[in-house]
Amino acid sequence: MARTVLCFGDSNTHGQIPGRGPLDRYRREQRWGGVLQGLLGPNWQVIEEGLSGRTTVHDDPIEGSLKNGRTYLRPCLQSHAPLDLIIIMLGTNDLKRRFNMPPSEVAMGIGCLVHDIRELSPGRTGNDPEIMIVAPPPMLEDLKEWESIFSGAQEKSRKLALEFEIMADSLEAHFFDAGTVCQCSPADGFHIDEDAHRLLGEALAQEVLAIGWPDA
Amino acid sequence: MRFAPPNPLRIADRASGLNSLSVRSYNERLVLSLLLQNEATTRLEIGEKTGLSAQTISVIVRSLEQEGLVVRGEAQKGRVGPPTTPLMLNSEGAYSVGVSVGYHNTHIVVVDFIGNVQHHRVMPHKAADTFDAPEALALEIRLAVAGLSESRQARIAGVGLALPTPPIRSEPDHDVLHRYLEAEFGLPVFVQNDITAAAGGESLFGTARQLQDFLFFYLGARLHCRLVLNHQIYNGNSPLSYDVGVLALERRLPADSAMAEKLWGQDLSWPPLGATLADWQQACAENLIQLAQSLLQFIELRTVVLSSFVPAAICEALCTLVRQKIPSVNAVVGRTSAAPKAVGAASLPFSSRFMVN
Repeated sequence: MARTVLCFGDSNTHGQIPGRGPLDRYRREQRWGGVLQGLLGPNWQVIEEGLSGRTTVHDDPIEGSLKNGRTYLRPCLQSHAPLDLIIIMLGTNDLKRRFNMPPSEVAMGIGCLVHDIRELSPGRTGNDPEIMIVAPPPMLEDLKEWESIFSGAQEKSRKLALEFEIMADSLEAHFFDAGTVCQCSPADGFHIDEDAHRLLGEALAQEVLAIGWPDA
Repeated sequence: MRFAPPNPLRIADRASGLNSLSVRSYNERLVLSLLLQNEATTRLEIGEKTGLSAQTISVIVRSLEQEGLVVRGEAQKGRVGPPTTPLMLNSEGAYSVGVSVGYHNTHIVVVDFIGNVQHHRVMPHKAADTFDAPEALALEIRLAVAGLSESRQARIAGVGLALPTPPIRSEPDHDVLHRYLEAEFGLPVFVQNDITAAAGGESLFGTARQLQDFLFFYLGARLHCRLVLNHQIYNGNSPLSYDVGVLALERRLPADSAMAEKLWGQDLSWPPLGATLADWQQACAENLIQLAQSLLQFIELRTVVLSSFVPAAICEALCTLVRQKIPSVNAVVGRTSAAPKAVGAASLPFSSRFMVN
């Protein structure tokens, strides 16, 4: 039986190349979603849903309401259902100065998405799919020209992993801290490069398989 | 409660050391029980055996990993399907002290989380069938604990006491000893009948780890037995025992104290005893066979475990005699080393703190 994984994320799921524009994107096999697909094999279908600038639950007053992860998640889930696993890697954009969010509120946003998924039950035969919350790797100190947009986010970004894990524990979801296997690229301080994509994809493949799938 | 802050009670304590007793949930104990009973397992197997959801198991396993009780093994490539990551107990995740008070000796052991004996000390009693002062015991326990590094000392789950029923002479009341040691070390102390503890130790750490049902014999001064059904020790504290043990052998020997003393020591083999030994072995084996056969009338018994401090070769010879007489039953020697009762006692803090009843 083929299994379906939805990777719901931001520019780091989209595969935006660090220090370059939003249209410069790594190829599928270079992106963590593609690495995951390669390792899981043909019995799995990995769907990438990465949008540059996506937040957990906020309409972005500058970039537009389309960046709100919450409003896009529901049609996205229905489009791709039935789903076996949803990997959520978001939170970096919530740390932009304009949202003024502490790390705990970003985790609350992630919690909302988990609730929304379970309300919709887009798993097989209407069951809840497995949900894995992935904390993005912490930002580097030097964010280049992005400093004014993210000002103060660096320290908050180092606290996301703990806040996300607490949320994952209390909602009973899988959790992985990307910061344990990869770092952001010094090219812009918050995007991950090709090496990091590979390391993340490899680690997530292990995590996905460790969940334990009968007859996978 | 949808938008309430996350409930911190569900979260593993992120401080180092062991979590306090109160926060270890039933589900956590279920998972730990499986890990204590199997060398390695997977999250899929845990799910199949407990009925817990994959996400619940993920949370529990993660907190056990952070606590240092559980480690991940290397991913195993299966014959079919994707590789699986086995989970196992971290041998250094917890330690336990076990004390057994016997006829001639008091044993003190320290075991790690998977039952490896880290420390073993024998305190001979000044006279047989008497117990020396609790202060001397406390000192020995202190020395045993001091043998562990400071970080490991913080991981001691408790002290287990395996005490005979009825008590031997001059032994303090069990409750008094229990309270004294608890106050002395600030650790939880667990007391159990010595034979039951030995059976429990064999079930958790030894030969019988995978066995659901078995008949357990302890050969000490006398011969004792316990029945284990579905991992539970039945009729925990039966005082019934048979006079075919080492005491009976000692009586058969000429009043040569040097020879007799060897029987109670920790030597790997006994001096040649000739026909006396053979006669005693025969009598002992007959008793084992008789007990096993009477039980066979009621249950389909497959395994007999013989545990003892006497040399392994002697135990093996007894097992061979049992197997010859009852071919349908596999008689095996226990694995809990030179001090089965003390290792059994050390299993008590683990079973009480980490397992479901």
